[in-house]
Amino acid sequence: MGICKIFIVILLFLFSLTTRLKADSEKIDLGLEIFNNKAMCGVCHVLKAAGSTGNIGPDLDSLKPSEEQVRDVVVEGFGVMPAFGEEGLLTSEEIDAVSYYVAYSSGK
Amino acid sequence: MKKILKKKRFNKEIDTSKRNFLTGSVTLAGVAAATSVLPVSIARANHEDSDPKGLPDFIKWKNRDALIVHSNKGIEAHRSAIGESIVTPIRNIYIRNNMPTMTDEQIGDRSKWKLSVEGVNQPKTFTLAQLKKLGQTTIATVLQCSGNGRGFYEHKPKGSQWKTGAAACILWTGVPVATIVSACGGIAKGANYMTCTGVDAPKDLDPKKATVERSVPLKAYKEAILAWEMNGVSLPNAHGGPLRAIPPGYFGINNVKHLGKLAFTETESDVKYMKTSYRISPLGKKGPEYPTCWEMPVKSWIVRPTDETGVVKSGKVQIAGVAMGGTKKVRSIKVSIDGGQNWKKAKFVGPYLGKYAWRQFIFEANLGPGSYNLASKASTGGNAQPELRYENRRGYAHNGWKDHSVNVEVV
Repeated sequence: MGICKIFIVILLFLFSLTTRLKADSEKIDLGLEIFNNKAMCGVCHVLKAAGSTGNIGPDLDSLKPSEEQVRDVVVEGFGVMPAFGEEGLLTSEEIDAVSYYVAYSSGK
Repeated sequence: MKKILKKKRFNKEIDTSKRNFLTGSVTLAGVAAATSVLPVSIARANHEDSDPKGLPDFIKWKNRDALIVHSNKGIEAHRSAIGESIVTPIRNIYIRNNMPTMTDEQIGDRSKWKLSVEGVNQPKTFTLAQLKKLGQTTIATVLQCSGNGRGFYEHKPKGSQWKTGAAACILWTGVPVATIVSACGGIAKGANYMTCTGVDAPKDLDPKKATVERSVPLKAYKEAILAWEMNGVSLPNAHGGPLRAIPPGYFGINNVKHLGKLAFTETESDVKYMKTSYRISPLGKKGPEYPTCWEMPVKSWIVRPTDETGVVKSGKVQIAGVAMGGTKKVRSIKVSIDGGQNWKKAKFVGPYLGKYAWRQFIFEANLGPGSYNLASKASTGGNAQPELRYENRRGYAHNGWKDHSVNVEVV
């Protein structure tokens, strides 16, 4: 492999990495926005990364749920927690973002 | 990424003025309301000082070594930590809260705690001090979360993944509901249910979604009590103090904490915790048409030996466990050491504390070196534990003996 080809491969790799980081960062931005404002998850949950101290639902830093677990409960609700998905309170994109954000940031 | 998080961090306390809209708006009603317990990964004990799942502040007095912390709202006892003297040590008793535990400040002077009684011929409001003058008794009951055993379901239902430890046998002291009924001139005509209401829901949540109000069939009132003491101590706030409804034989959710109202009603409560939550529905289905978690079924499990209790040496082994009948007396208990192929009768030991308590059982076996599956199967006479769980959406009321069996290695 010539030096040019190696250079191109590295460039492509860096480009894809940057793109992915940008996508992640946008998703996290949206997730945090949903968490703190639209869904107001922080009223009921502790999540240090978001600065929230709610004491009605479980402490998310302690629970450290997976993205799938968050999505499941956000869609269907549980106990007093609304079914954000089934009741149309959040879009699927918003649910994806907040699920990703909570799974990513809990315990940090 | 951390920079982004820091930049976007919520730098101020959540604006509580925004919470007002949670109670009224159609689209946003309860938007910020809470989950009780999210699904969790496999329960595992971690009792090191650095344990990120240490006990939450409101139950720092509990015995951390006895407990598995699923979340700060869901904490169960290890299989071997319910004790072998029938009554469960209070520091080892599980915690399951739908609403935040009320604080001393919120409760105020306990003797002035108020209970209103409705659906009777002479509705009244009593203070706790007045209730204590009215009458007193003590009963032993099994307190068990509806989802105890949920951790055995393969479809991993939402909620704490309890195995056996969301259960305890407790001595409750309080006033019989029947005594209160007499003091109020009897139950008003047309009542079909005893409906108990907790006052622990935060005021700014939608009361229809957040109020823990449970109706049980009217017949339950005859043996129910309202308790202010638990295992010899004043009922702790974390367990619903200063006053808790105890309808014996009914799942924990019906044992309403922080009790503020006792009513006899024609219909079941229409709050979410009654109408749609705690319904035992098939997989993929839900709704108020399915049975609610009321009477507990017959159930048993082995507490020793297990993989928690260390190496089992060959020779004579005492297999110990507990057996309960729900609302019926548990009459027999059998143990298998070969995964349910053969069963032999075990013996109940210790005092009989009434049909609502569980009974300790012992089975003596001679075990040579090898692998064993130890199982127990209780019966009320008419009903014996089934082999398998009843698959249901939320993983309620599991009493199948197979999942509750334990594997041990004998050396």
